[in-house]
Amino acid sequence: MKRKALAIALTAAMAMGLVSSVPVMAEEEQVTIKVFSNLPDRTSGQGLIEQTLFDMYMEENPNVTIEVEALDDESYKTKFKAYASGSSMPDLVNVWGQPAFISEVIDAGLLAELNEDDYADYNFLDGSLNGFSQDGKLYGLARNTDVMGFYYNKAIFEECGVEVPTTWDELIGAVQTITDAGYIAISMDGSDKYPIAILIEDIYQKIAGSADTYSNAAAAVESGSYDESWTQAAQMVVDLVEAGGFQTGFETTDYGTALNLFTNGQAAMYYMGSWEMSMATNEDIDEETRNNISVFTMPLVDGGIGTATEICAWNGGGYSVTANSEVKDEAIALLNYMFEPDHWSKLAWENGVCMSAQNFSDYLTGEETSLQLEWIDIVSGSTSVSGTPINDLGTSEFKTVCEDSCVELAIGSLSVDEFYSALAAFAQ
Amino acid sequence: MKKLYSNKRVIFSLVAPGLFMFTVAILAPILLSIYYSFTNYSGIGDYWFIGIENYTTLFHDSVFWGALKNSLFLAIGFICIQHPLAIFVAVKLDKLQGKAEGIFRCIYFIPNVISVAVIAYLWKFIYNPNFGLLQKILEFFGYKGTINPLGSGTAIWAVLVVLIWHGFGWGMLIYYTGVKNIDPILYEAAAIDGASGTSTFFRVTLPLMKPVIQVNVTMAIISALKQMETVYLLTDGGPGNETQFMASYLYKQAFSSYKYGYGNAISVIFILICLLANLILQKVFQEKEVQEV
Amino acid sequence: MNSVLSKHSRTKRRIWILVFSVIAFVQLFPLIWLIDFSLCKSNELFTSGILVWPEEIQWKNYILAFRDGHFLHYLGNSLLINTLAVVLVVLISIMASFACTRMHWKLKNVVAVIMVMGMMIPIHATLLPNYVIYDRLKLTDTIWALLIPYVAFSLPQGYFLTSGFMASVPKELEEAALIDGCGVYRVVFTIIMPLLRPSISTVVIMTYLNNWNEFMMATTYLSSDKWKTLPFCILEFTGQYSSNYAVQFAVMALSAAPALLVYIFLNKYITKGVALGAVKG
Repeated sequence: MKRKALAIALTAAMAMGLVSSVPVMAEEEQVTIKVFSNLPDRTSGQGLIEQTLFDMYMEENPNVTIEVEALDDESYKTKFKAYASGSSMPDLVNVWGQPAFISEVIDAGLLAELNEDDYADYNFLDGSLNGFSQDGKLYGLARNTDVMGFYYNKAIFEECGVEVPTTWDELIGAVQTITDAGYIAISMDGSDKYPIAILIEDIYQKIAGSADTYSNAAAAVESGSYDESWTQAAQMVVDLVEAGGFQTGFETTDYGTALNLFTNGQAAMYYMGSWEMSMATNEDIDEETRNNISVFTMPLVDGGIGTATEICAWNGGGYSVTANSEVKDEAIALLNYMFEPDHWSKLAWENGVCMSAQNFSDYLTGEETSLQLEWIDIVSGSTSVSGTPINDLGTSEFKTVCEDSCVELAIGSLSVDEFYSALAAFAQ
Repeated sequence: MKKLYSNKRVIFSLVAPGLFMFTVAILAPILLSIYYSFTNYSGIGDYWFIGIENYTTLFHDSVFWGALKNSLFLAIGFICIQHPLAIFVAVKLDKLQGKAEGIFRCIYFIPNVISVAVIAYLWKFIYNPNFGLLQKILEFFGYKGTINPLGSGTAIWAVLVVLIWHGFGWGMLIYYTGVKNIDPILYEAAAIDGASGTSTFFRVTLPLMKPVIQVNVTMAIISALKQMETVYLLTDGGPGNETQFMASYLYKQAFSSYKYGYGNAISVIFILICLLANLILQKVFQEKEVQEV
Repeated sequence: MNSVLSKHSRTKRRIWILVFSVIAFVQLFPLIWLIDFSLCKSNELFTSGILVWPEEIQWKNYILAFRDGHFLHYLGNSLLINTLAVVLVVLISIMASFACTRMHWKLKNVVAVIMVMGMMIPIHATLLPNYVIYDRLKLTDTIWALLIPYVAFSLPQGYFLTSGFMASVPKELEEAALIDGCGVYRVVFTIIMPLLRPSISTVVIMTYLNNWNEFMMATTYLSSDKWKTLPFCILEFTGQYSSNYAVQFAVMALSAAPALLVYIFLNKYITKGVALGAVKG
């Protein structure tokens, strides 16, 4: 079904390409645009959408060849830094619109400035490009709106007689019931570390309210003083671990394994971002499990002022063009093409892959999976969002230490106090 | 002939490629490393000289010392667990004779020819507490709990087990060669003297294997110092920094924390430690030989 | 008396064979497990048995691994790069050891020390600066970025082995050749080289074993698919098929296969080569 939609889009684009290629001059020279992507899976999910757009573009512009090098997140970031230290940076690159990643890169003058006016009609959501801007200049475009939540398996919840928790205490209660029944309560990707950092932020938001989460977190990182709400949030993560909330060995469980524990019916919940909504259409997953996936966001915390509609969300991944690229203009043209409203935004939604950072309400098809609709409800019902999570608010060294410390906190090798003094060491 | 053999141009042409490779791939990067180690270069953008600050930081960096300790742990693990086992198997295998001897020797070496990438991923699956092989085997024998080998406290042991499993055949093979080189007449002489199996082993076999043991011990220590790939893929230094090694730590500092200058300072000290270890080992083994003569 | 002894020793032998079999089992079982699950469906890994008899053998896992893992392309690259590295190591080390052991010049001992120095330098310590150097020289993402470090770090051992054997080659042969009017180069390549055959095969085997599985350099220095080597099959695959374990297992088994097959066929020579190389080097 989804593949069909894509195919139609592709043929339509090709037809359009035929029309639009008429005025193009024949003697245009060949251009190769090198793309460095963090989407290694080119045959499904976001990688497929990205590749489809590239194929469409090459079809419309026969003089352009697009070469893609794709690595998964961690290898991507490592390699990106190797490129940054050299002179052979690819032309179009993935970036994260978060200080820990992008500040140093912008400061070094590696990214080309984009013309903000070009995107007036692109329907980018308010504030979604903030992370990609510095000193009033725009350096990149956001790909998605990312929201953190608990995916859960309805069948396991039913079997254990557990309701969707609305308060933290209910969540702890559910964890107990589920583990007693022999399932893993929450599948946690501890090897990538960032989900634990985000979990702390997510809880903090429910304690302190999200109106100022971003500025509070940024101020805390900068000053090194973390107030009681932070201490409480970290303590609650420790409590959750002690209650048996995560699977044994979560600290070394990688992304794929955490996902697989959930999709193979071993775990009742899976704490991950909205970009995994494509689980509902992934053919590799058993159909029964696939149809039973649902999602809820962080339950309320007793005594906290955060409400249910304050969600942990941000605009993370996106694209930039390299400043000293030999084909800078062509790369910007490709970037703009990708984010024309009826390209990335539309295809990503129609294929159930993720929510773009643009307003995609025009592209609702009525054929969405129930998981997609739940996410839509969460986002459209939200009253405020948290913004970039704490681990991404400092330098990249802060990120490394913060994420390492989050894991050490969760496995009990750091106490809550030690955890925050490790973070405080980075105060300016 | 002497004239031919002293022709400078010929000599130069023969050694030039080797020296060129050394200069380009070993000397130049080391010099560059030393240069960067005195800067605060982040990997991109501007940088300036900060004197020996990187080295003083390194001196107080508990992770770096932890990495060194981990290397020491591996070296001791190899020498106290892997090698006695390998010597023992080598000696007994030598006595087995026949076809079985060759087959076993061949099988023991197999993990060695398998890529580190495969080994690391495979063992990650084996160690998985939720569906891994080890857990299943324990469950098969009636164990009720869950084990987490890669977790805090046991991770370094888990790494050691993988490395022992992977390198066992190599060590065994070298000891085996050493055993094969022992003149059988010596055994016969020992048997005539009425020596028991155990005393023959300690009085004849072991002393004669000394050179081979020296080679193997040196290799064990050096490879413990140089450990990188298996750990990088298996634990990535975690949990926390519990299984960090010098090579993986310098990689992390340079590419995850944007501290390229600091990473290079680690490189420089890393090289010095390896050189020092080599020198000490040579000295230790040489002195022993001199004493014996 | 004799028959009692032999009976005694026969049971003893049986016991030892049993002990060795247990060790062999430990060495091999993880691989058996790997192959077993590479033929299953992904979710069968989550069942409780140690080994599983697949409901239906999933050959398609291997087809996927073969195709999407770019198996042949990466294998070809691995073969090409490693073979070139081996040839270069053999030639360069024979040339250098001839000059340093046979010929007469002042600095030969210094050069000899320099040649083996590399053995003590950890290859990963050069990872960061080498990236900068290759980048300046525009060598990143070319075959040279792998070939140079592979050759440089295998040379010391190659030099050590060849110069060791060179000392045992009698001088009479080359003297005769020189009197016949042969040049030095001809002596090295037509007279000395054939005599060094056993040590050359050791160098070849050691160099292959050193470099065949290397991937840290390869991931850091290469970016396009053009020169990527066999370990990339696995490194790229885990990201691509993160939700399909069986295919991941298949790709692991597949990429381990070439070296394993070569080893099984040439096991006699390889064990001999390794033993010789390790003991001497």
